[in-house]
Amino acid sequence: MNNRIKELRARYNLTQDDLAKRVNVRRETIVFLEKNKYNPSLKLAHDIASVFESRIEDVFIFD
Amino acid sequence: MKKAVIIFIVAALVIAAAILWLMSSSGNFKPSDITSYAVIILVVGFALFIGFKKLSSARKGEPVEDEMSKKVMRKTAAYSYYISLYLWLALMYISDKVDYEVHTVIGAGILGMALVFTICWLVFNFRGVRNE
Repeated sequence: MNNRIKELRARYNLTQDDLAKRVNVRRETIVFLEKNKYNPSLKLAHDIASVFESRIEDVFIFD
Repeated sequence: MKKAVIIFIVAALVIAAAILWLMSSSGNFKPSDITSYAVIILVVGFALFIGFKKLSSARKGEPVEDEMSKKVMRKTAAYSYYISLYLWLALMYISDKVDYEVHTVIGAGILGMALVFTICWLVFNFRGVRNE
């Protein structure tokens, strides 16, 4: 599974820290998500998509 | 925060026990003793690293634990348990062949389990946990 978190974060002018605080996880988790080293839970995927005002499938791309 | 404090207390107790053991050994070090001390230092160092990481997360206002850290810990626990079974099996086999005292074998097993846990955590924490 790939994702567009880095791209959307840049578009929304958010740092990894900002996004981590908004979805209530540690910054490390955002780092791992951006490197595709971690697959988030449905709740976290929903929270991240909400921050970017997008749908889950627009942020997370399933192979 | 509470978990970080517990980690520091346990690390302090382990260090105190290691110092007492060091004092009672009266300078007669066998290679197995040196290995044991090295493993203890490594495991305590790892525990302190985790403790400081949790503390710094708490200071930054981040959650001390989140879904990824919990998943890393769950996977680490599962793998280290599985590997530890084989470790004990190997120790039982070795203890039949070599004449070690029972407490030496048990000590080696416990230190081995701690070492396996540390290595598993490092692997999963740096490699990441994907749903394979």
